[in-house]
Amino acid sequence: MTSEQTMTAITAEAVEEALLSFLAERVKTAVEPDQDLFKSGLVSSMFAMQLVVHLEEQYDIAVIGPDLTLNNFRTVHAMTSLVLRLRNASDTAGNV
Amino acid sequence: MSEELASERAMIDEVVGDQPASWDIAGEIPIGLLRKLGADGVLCAQVPAAFGGLGRSSLHNGELTAHVGSRCSSLRSIMTSQGMAAWTVQRFGDRDQRRQYLTELTSGQLAAIAFSEPSAGSDLSAMRTEIGTDGDSVVLDGKKMWVTGARYADQLVVLGKHGDGASFLVVPTSAPGVLVETVADPLGCRAAGHAHIRFDNVRLPASCLLGGGGQGMQLLFTTALCYGRFSVAWGCVGIVRACLAAATEHARHRRQAGKPLADHQLIAGHLAELLVAEQVSTRVCEHASRCWDSASPDMVIAAVLAKHVSAGHAARSGSIAVQVLASAGAQDGHAVARAYRDAKLMEIIEGSNEICQLILAQHAMTIPPDRS
Repeated sequence: MTSEQTMTAITAEAVEEALLSFLAERVKTAVEPDQDLFKSGLVSSMFAMQLVVHLEEQYDIAVIGPDLTLNNFRTVHAMTSLVLRLRNASDTAGNV
Repeated sequence: MSEELASERAMIDEVVGDQPASWDIAGEIPIGLLRKLGADGVLCAQVPAAFGGLGRSSLHNGELTAHVGSRCSSLRSIMTSQGMAAWTVQRFGDRDQRRQYLTELTSGQLAAIAFSEPSAGSDLSAMRTEIGTDGDSVVLDGKKMWVTGARYADQLVVLGKHGDGASFLVVPTSAPGVLVETVADPLGCRAAGHAHIRFDNVRLPASCLLGGGGQGMQLLFTTALCYGRFSVAWGCVGIVRACLAAATEHARHRRQAGKPLADHQLIAGHLAELLVAEQVSTRVCEHASRCWDSASPDMVIAAVLAKHVSAGHAARSGSIAVQVLASAGAQDGHAVARAYRDAKLMEIIEGSNEICQLILAQHAMTIPPDRS
């Protein structure tokens, strides 16, 4: 699944859908794309770090430095735009 | 065992020799030795080769950490601090900071990482240390406690409140306003250089903020601590191995009522417990490291589990080993006496037993019934 995704262009819809199903599996609750995961108590900072690792592995990106802020992981929408932004950045600039 | 691991272990044994007992009694490790091991890259062996590190996997670094831990938990604690500082820079630093600091940390410079405060341990909301912004400068004020390795450190990676969020600030111990006060006579890891630190109006360029600062306190804390938990967990495997080795050696040679201690059933029970402890803690750490190396999201919980299981086994093993050796091991400096004292601290740091249990319980509540 990972290799397929890294080979082809990734759409926001695909990222969002994959994230929603990952979250549904992990927290046992259906979440909305714009739902605040931390405020709703569904997700702890411990889980936030799991999300970081998951996104890095799944989309071949490195979430480092200033991007490692809870706001980027607050909603499925926020995570989706983070993934797309970092994918674009690595396509154009190389990823160190 | 890989060739690299074997040669790293041999190098450490040669440098360390039989000195851990005297380090424990003196409460100090010669700093030149720490700088040498730092320059060899073994204090933070997971730093990528691009930054001058050894680029080892978590599993490799874990076995290396266990080896150091089997010799000296004070030295292993320094390794944990240096590794956490390096990991934090790698994770949160920008490109220039990663290049600069990671190169320094693999060239003989020593670093410590500062979280705990007089009234804030795991309760981050109680943290008082504050980083203020003043033009191109930042100003640090606050107190940190029990900072492992701080006595030897050139750099401190300090967690503080910053605006609406938090930041890690890299602070040279030589900066004006930094006061490092070594903790006298700690219960265990006596040569690990624990210190209390006061920061009084410490002014530094804003470029010392990792990644520009202003991240979320929880994420900063959890991320940095995750590496520390791996390191402590593997260090505890080392403590258990040292206990197993000392107890079996003693039980083989010491004779009581005409036969070796090992042939006495009550002693044999202790030896079996030590073997179980060694196997169980090794396996749980291996699992956690494989999660790290395969970038599995489970690594975060696996680290807590490994730390909790291994620290418990280390504490029990220290007690068992002292029991088996009895008067032969009941003196400061002796491997099992050190294990007994050092292991107790491992049930406290990087998430106490109770905090680990809270995290594990919370995790248990999220596991669907068919996966448990």
